[in-house]
This record gives sequence, C-alpha cells and structure tokens, in this order.
Amino acid sequence: MNALKNPRILGTLAVLVVIALTPLAFGDENYIMRVITVGLCSAIAVYGMNIILGFTGQLSLAQGGFFGIGAYAVGLLTTDFDWSFWQAFLVGVVGTSAIGYLSGLIALRTKDEYFAIFTMAIGFIIFLIISRWESVTHAHSGVNNVKFPEAGDIVDFSNPTAMFYLVFVILLVCVYITYAIRRSSVGRTLLTIRTSEDLADAIGVNVGLSKQLAFAASAFFGGLGGGLYASVVGFIGPDAATVDKTFEFLMFILVGGMGTVAGPLVGTMIVTFLFEFFQDFQAYRFIVLGPVIIALVIFAPRGIVGYLGGFIDRRARKRRIGSIRTNGQSRSDGATHTNASTRAGNSADTATTTEEEK
Amino acid sequence: MTLFIQQLFNGIALGGIYCLAAIGLTLVFGVLRIPNLAHGALYMLGAYVTYFFLTTVGVPYVAAIGIAALILFVLGVLLERLVFHPLRNAPHTHHMIAAIGAMFFFQSVAQVIWGADFKRMETPISGSLQILGAEISAQRIVIIVTAVIVLGLLTWFIKRSIHGQTIEAIEQDRTGAALVGINPAMVSMLTLGLSALLVTIAAGLVSPINLLSPTMGAALNLKVFAIIILGGLGSLPGAIVGSFALAIAETMTSTYISSAVGEAVAFIVLVAVLAIRPTGLFAKAVQR
Amino acid sequence: MNSIPRRASRPVLAAAVISTFALALGACGGGGGSGASGGDDSVVIGYTGPLSGGGAAYGKNVQTGLQMAVDDLNEDGLEVDGKKVTIELKSLDDKYAPSTAASNAQRLADQDEAPVVVSPNAGAIKAIQQINDGRSKFMISAYTSDPAIMQADNALTMMIPPNFESYAKPYTEQGMKHGGKKLALLGTESEYGQQWTKAITDEWKKAGGTIGADNSISYATVSDFAGPVSKALAEKPDSIFVGGPSQPTALIMEQARKQGFEGSFLVMDQAKLDEMATVTKIENLTNSIGVLPVKEYDDPGNKDFLKKYAEVAGEDKVATSETALNYQSMAIIAKAMEVAGTTSDPDKIRAAVPDALSKVDDKYKVNGFPTKITDQGHLMNPELEVTYLNEDEKYTKIPVEQVSDAK
Repeated sequence: MNALKNPRILGTLAVLVVIALTPLAFGDENYIMRVITVGLCSAIAVYGMNIILGFTGQLSLAQGGFFGIGAYAVGLLTTDFDWSFWQAFLVGVVGTSAIGYLSGLIALRTKDEYFAIFTMAIGFIIFLIISRWESVTHAHSGVNNVKFPEAGDIVDFSNPTAMFYLVFVILLVCVYITYAIRRSSVGRTLLTIRTSEDLADAIGVNVGLSKQLAFAASAFFGGLGGGLYASVVGFIGPDAATVDKTFEFLMFILVGGMGTVAGPLVGTMIVTFLFEFFQDFQAYRFIVLGPVIIALVIFAPRGIVGYLGGFIDRRARKRRIGSIRTNGQSRSDGATHTNASTRAGNSADTATTTEEEK
Repeated sequence: MTLFIQQLFNGIALGGIYCLAAIGLTLVFGVLRIPNLAHGALYMLGAYVTYFFLTTVGVPYVAAIGIAALILFVLGVLLERLVFHPLRNAPHTHHMIAAIGAMFFFQSVAQVIWGADFKRMETPISGSLQILGAEISAQRIVIIVTAVIVLGLLTWFIKRSIHGQTIEAIEQDRTGAALVGINPAMVSMLTLGLSALLVTIAAGLVSPINLLSPTMGAALNLKVFAIIILGGLGSLPGAIVGSFALAIAETMTSTYISSAVGEAVAFIVLVAVLAIRPTGLFAKAVQR
Repeated sequence: MNSIPRRASRPVLAAAVISTFALALGACGGGGGSGASGGDDSVVIGYTGPLSGGGAAYGKNVQTGLQMAVDDLNEDGLEVDGKKVTIELKSLDDKYAPSTAASNAQRLADQDEAPVVVSPNAGAIKAIQQINDGRSKFMISAYTSDPAIMQADNALTMMIPPNFESYAKPYTEQGMKHGGKKLALLGTESEYGQQWTKAITDEWKKAGGTIGADNSISYATVSDFAGPVSKALAEKPDSIFVGGPSQPTALIMEQARKQGFEGSFLVMDQAKLDEMATVTKIENLTNSIGVLPVKEYDDPGNKDFLKKYAEVAGEDKVATSETALNYQSMAIIAKAMEVAGTTSDPDKIRAAVPDALSKVDDKYKVNGFPTKITDQGHLMNPELEVTYLNEDEKYTKIPVEQVSDAK
C-alpha cells in the first residue's frame, strides 16, 4: 500500500476519520451535530466548486444557485407533490446537472472575469426566480416539513446521527471522485486547461467539451449538497440560493485550499466553526471576521491544506537534498536556495498547487 | 404618454446614479484588473460620511459631499495599499474574497457608528419642474446634470492631465507604462481613490431621494457589476451606455410589464448580450 | 520586498487559525457548563434575530424590548420554586436567514439551556418549529403576525402579536370610506408583504372594489421610488396599499403626495405612522389607515415604558410595537416560570401561561396587554384597534373584529 505512505492521503484520511467519529463524542449535542451535518452538505457543494475552479481554473459564481435548485427540487417535490425523498433527490440532482449543462453552453462562451460575473448573474436570476415565483416556490414563505429519506424500518433518518452518516457517506463518494479525477487523465486535462487554454488546445484537448463537463459536474455536486441540505434542515427559504451563499462557498474553498482533495472539507469545517464561534459578538462579529478573512487570503493564499502540502513538499525536498549532501555532491547553499525559489514560485502563482501528480 | 415621459426622466436620473457608480468600478477594473466587490460598501460609507458632515457637523450640502469625497479618496487609497496591493499577484478569487471581507467590515463599522436604523438626508434642493406634463423633482435634475458634468471632468482628467494619462497608459499596457517610468503602484492607489471619490458623489446625490442604511450598497453592487460587464470591462463609454440602457430598461419594464421583471431585467439583458457578444458591448483589446 | 516578514508570519498565522478552530470547538463542546443549569440562580432566555444586515434595525428594536424587560424583572426580583432567579438575555445574530436562526435556537437551547427562545421572523420560526418539540425541547416566543405558525400545531409556540388577517376588513372599510373603490398595490416584496397584499386583495374584492396590477417592489433594493410610484398613480387609484419598514414607506407616501395623489393610504402594520413621521412631514401621511402607535395605548404601564425607552434609546427614537410587545411578553414568560415553579421545563412553562397572564404586574402592561391565550398558543387582547390618521393629524381609533388563526 504505497498510498498510505503519502502524507497527503494520510492527512485526508485522518480528517475523514475525525469527522466520522464526531457523533461518538457529540451524538447528544443536537446543535453541534446540526452545524456539522449542514457543514457537510455545504462541503459537497464546495467539492463541485473545486472541480470547476480548483481543477479547471474557471471561477463559477453560480454554485449558490445550483445549491438552491437542488434544495428546492427536493423541498417542493416531497411536500407539494408528495414524492418520496429518493425520487425527489434523484430528479433534483439530475435536473440541477441538466440546468448546469445548459447554462454552461452560454456561460462558457465567456472567459475570465466575464465568466465569473456572468455566472454570478445566473446565480442571481435563480435566486430571483425562487424568491419571486410565489405560486410555485412559495417565495419567502419557504417550504416547510421537507421529508427525511425513507429507509423502511432499517434506519430512521429523523435521527440526527443517521442523517449525519448518510450525508457523510455521500461526501466520502465526493472526496473519492475528486481524488480519482485528480489522478486520472481527466484531471490532468482539466489542470492543463487551468494552466493555459491555448496550450491545452494546441496539444489536442477538447477544451470546450472539457469545460462544459466540468461545469455540469460542479452543478451536479451543488444539487447533491442542496438536496441533502433541504432534508437535513427540514425548512428551506430563498436564503438557500443567495449569491452570498456562493461567496460563502468560495471562502470555504479558499481557506481550505483550491485544487486539493481535502481542502474543501477542511475549509468548510474551519470557517463554519469560526463563524459560529464569533456569534457571541453578534452584530460586531464582522469587525473582527472581515479583517481575519482578508488576512487569510493575503497570508495563506493557498489555503490551509495547500499550506500543509507545501510544508510536506519542502520537508521531502530537504530530506532529498540532505541525502544528496551526505554523498558529497551538493553545494553548501543548495537547501536554502531551493527553499527560496519554492517561496518565490508560491507567491508568484498562488493558484498553482504544488506537485500536481500526487 | 405623460406616464412614459415621467418614467423616461426617472429612468435617466436612475441612469445617472448607476453611471457615477459604474465608471469608478470600471476604471478600477481597467487598471488593477480586479472586480472590486467592496465598491457598494464604499458607496454606503460615502453616503454616511456626507450625512455626518451635512447633519451632524452642519456644513452646506455641496461642501459636505466634497469633504466626504476627499475622505473616501483617502480610504480608497488605504484599501488599495492594505488589501489589494499585497494581493497584486494573486488570482482574482483572492481579491473577491478579500473585497468581501472589507465589505463585511465596512458594513459593521457603519452599523456601530450610525446604528442600524434608516437615516434620511435632507437637502436644500427642493421643488420640481413641469416637463411635457411630467412632474420631475429638482433633485433628479441635479443628479442628471451632475452626472454629465462629472463625466466631462473625468474625461478631461484622463485624456489631458498627467495623472489621468498615467491611468490610461496603465490600462493600455502595464509593462510598457512601467518602462517609460510610470509607477503602477501609484496609479493603482490613485485609481482606487478616484473610484471611491466618484461613488461618494453618486451617494451624496442619491441619499436625499432614498435612505441611508448599512446595507444600502449591496443592492447597487450587483447591478453595477452587470452594467460594467455589459459595457465591456474597463470601458468608460461602455459603462456610460450600459448605465443608461439598463436604468431605462429597468423603469420601463417595471412600468409596462411587472416590477418583478424590472428587478431581473438587468441580468436578463446581460445574459442575452453576453450570449451574443461574450466580451460585452465595448470590449477593449484584453491584455494578458 | 516584504517576503521576509510574510515568511515569518505564515506559521504564526497557521497556528492562530488552528488554535481558533480548537477554541471554537472547545467553546461549542464545553458550553453546557457555562450556562445556567436548571434550578440554579440564573436562567438564560435566548433570542435569535437579525442584528446585522438589512433587517438589523428591526432585530435591534425587538432586542431592546427584551433587554428592558429583563432589566426591570431582575430589579423586581424573580422567585421560582423558592429560589431567587436572575434572567439573562442571550442574543445571537441570524441575518434574517431561517436556517441560521434554527442553528442559533438549537445552540441556545442546548448550550445555554434556554427554556424559551424568542424569534421575530415567520420563516425563522417555521424553521425552528422543526426542532423545538422533539429531541430538544424549548418554547418559541414568536413575534410574527403570520397565522401559519399557529397552523403548524406546535405545542411549544407562543404567538405574540395579533393575526394580521384581522386588519384586512377594517382597512378595506376605512380605505373605501376615505378614498374610493379603486385600490393600487404598492406594498413591499417580502414574505410578509406578499401575504398582506393577498389578504387586502381578497377583502377589497369581496367588498366590491377594483384592484390594479400588483406593483409590489423590494423596498430594500429600489434606488429611486419615483418610478414605481408614477406607475401606480397612472392607474388613477382612490386608495393605495403601501407598507414595509417605516422609513421607506414614508418616502413612498411622500413621493405619491408630491406627484399629486390625494386619496387614502392603507399602511401595512410593519410600518408605524409615528415612526414614519420622523423622516417626512406628517401632512404627507394623513388620510391613512394604520396600526395604532404605541403612545396612543391606554395600558397602565404605557407612560413609564415610554419614559424608560427614551432613556435607553434616545429622545428622537420612536418606541414601536416591536419593542413594546416583546417587553410585555418577556414579563409573561417570567411570570409563567414563577407560576410553573421551574426554569427548565418548557412544557410546564407553556402550560402556566394562561394563569400567568392575570398575574403580571400592571407596570408591564404597555401595548394592548393580552388577557387570554388560545389553545394553539396565540396571545389575545379582545380589544384590538387600528387607527385612522385624519386631516387634522389626529389618530382616531377603530375597533377590529379578530379572525380565527385556522386556515
């Protein structure tokens, strides 16, 4: 098992194991279970952002909207139409992916900032539809009593711990998909597009189709997270689809680390708990949180996982250089020199995560 | 017919407001190449600082706007120095999140200082004019006239003055400008300061017909972004045309279709235009 | 240039982030100890409302009322089951988002062991109703006029203000009497605004009036009210339905008068006529039907309350029913705890509310104090009144027949 020697994979597994064990410690604490479970739903949507932003380098700001579509599909179908959760969930996720694919057809004609703000407009239109189309979505009155997943007599999903594990298992699948994409040729294709679209085009990558699929995939994850979220919280309002939600996701992925496997999860959990922690300051909390957010992007631009990844790489490199040096083949300043150039590389292009192949 | 003329003037006045807010944002984009999401927060702060000088200190209306504009200029410079300058080599995602952090911070500060309540700003400008049977308030005429004057001055500043020309030079070719001795860092500060100054003038003009609140910038923010994207990022004529086009579209659809469509029309137009021209109406040659 | 200090600060920053995270987890996990354990000498009453963002002013008004009551009650001294108890108000910000409100309520109930959580927003209350009567138990002190929260059959919900649907009939009668048969709709596009618009539309049609297009606008995001007002006036209405937060509502009415409207206004209960008079001349507001200002009530504690409010909030702020009704209801909650002899059992506290109502000290009766509570949990004062602000700028009172909360 070579993989288990890789500190990155070990770290990711450690994070997952810690989260898997939280119900043992906090099973009776409804509040903490709720915050964590809702956080996991967000994390799923953030994994979607990771594919389009982290891997493909396209800043999509429609993710909050896709999350909302997933949530409202499950919410409305299980209440007004009395479908079962699973039917509604399936339709919601497929529908969100389809909407994602279709809006991608137009959105991906634009590039860079145009793409970012264009997708923000898509997200905002989705929000406007949800908050103003009263006869269908009940607008601001919201959707009440969204169903829990049905499981016969086997599991009772109204139990927070059971719901937690359902969301967690789906999250695990998302983490695995991210890991698999990262290692596969698909992942390399996307990373090439991130580095340079012209280059990717020149070496025969179908840039348009790849971006299109990545965008649909990000919508798929958004719908997945939203659908689960609706069932977890039981009541949804238009606040599930706001543009602010998108920026929340963006904050999660930045703090965690773009383009990494564990980043979205770590970022989501840390920022969620940071926000909860600062609740005690009430209206004043953003006087502290605002500068904290700014400091994070300035001083830890690659996110926490990116930072730790860089740390691991430097250590590995030092060790390598160290072993070379004992063989008497290294110049005395080799280590510091390499170190400094890594630094320079990091600050020059912060989006590039180190050691893509791992 | 009277309704149409009434709404046309209302639309033009709204366009003037959007325009003053949008040109600053598009300038910042042209020079710093960042979408400054804190722009709406600067607008809000500009309104409050004007309110403070007008109501609490008691200086005349025009002087209050002037002092507030200068204070916001300094604030804009500080924002560039402390937040955007350290991020100058980072990708745009980082700017966006940093700008959101700044926006949260400004909103909280305003709420702490001035409270969460709506505030009304009284001005000496009152009365109204009869134009073709429509009743137009003097404040709206002032908004339209000021927007035209400010746009004229800005064009002169950018085309004729040394400092302004440096802005255009950097917009056109950053490396080339640096080679001929223009300091990009200075120009960045100048531009952000200028955008804060312009948006303060907009805020000072609008506040009397609307209300002040810590979140007043949020609603404007999205629309102004739609405008500068529609016009083509970094393009001044684009921002001007976009402002008036969207404002008139907004009032007219609200009037003749429904207010819900009026609220969404800016974004529907945006989607339609970008579907046909992915770089906006007046796209500049984009330098990479 | 500055890469050297940054290099040094990175590990520090990482450490800071990780330790904050640990602290946050610790604070969340260990919170139980810091709160009041039942039967001690203090009890936490929770409040989750919008304290930042667009709804902040509203959330703060509610919070002020609660805090004023808590201070007064503690000064009086509260005794529960033979022990002296101090009340502590713990407030959390939900920015008007229902899901955040539910998380906050859960936190207040779990970690601070609050037997009662106050929430001033129908959406948030519906979200909280999903969790307050199951694995966790706590009572919701619900400040909303939306009867939908009563239809949820939640045994632990106490609804404070009157059902807004009761207003539709007197509003329609008065509106037609002082204006005419043609109504324009210019309410706010919020959850509550939409419900009001619907209720007024139904009642107005029932009375034989005609209604123009629905011109509802988002009061919070419109930059210039002149356009929407011109549009509404183009229908040549005799009456206009307006309403959202007081201040923008006042601006809309001012704009309508400026553009020459002379008919009557139906002002939704979210807007308070006396508060509106602080941003526009009262002559712009006359010939309108609205809810009765707090200062017009005759309850025994009314004058003292207004005096205290001026001390707390400043002379230029107008006391609204958000503050006054929550002041009253906090006194009811405290009395119910006293009657029930417990600060930790929400079921018993809720059961004690009917008895508590008649025992609350007169000084806490400020704004139409309720005399009974329905089986579903709605506090009721049989003598509800609305007001007509006449051309002489005087408030005249009009009695209201209250409708049932059932669908």
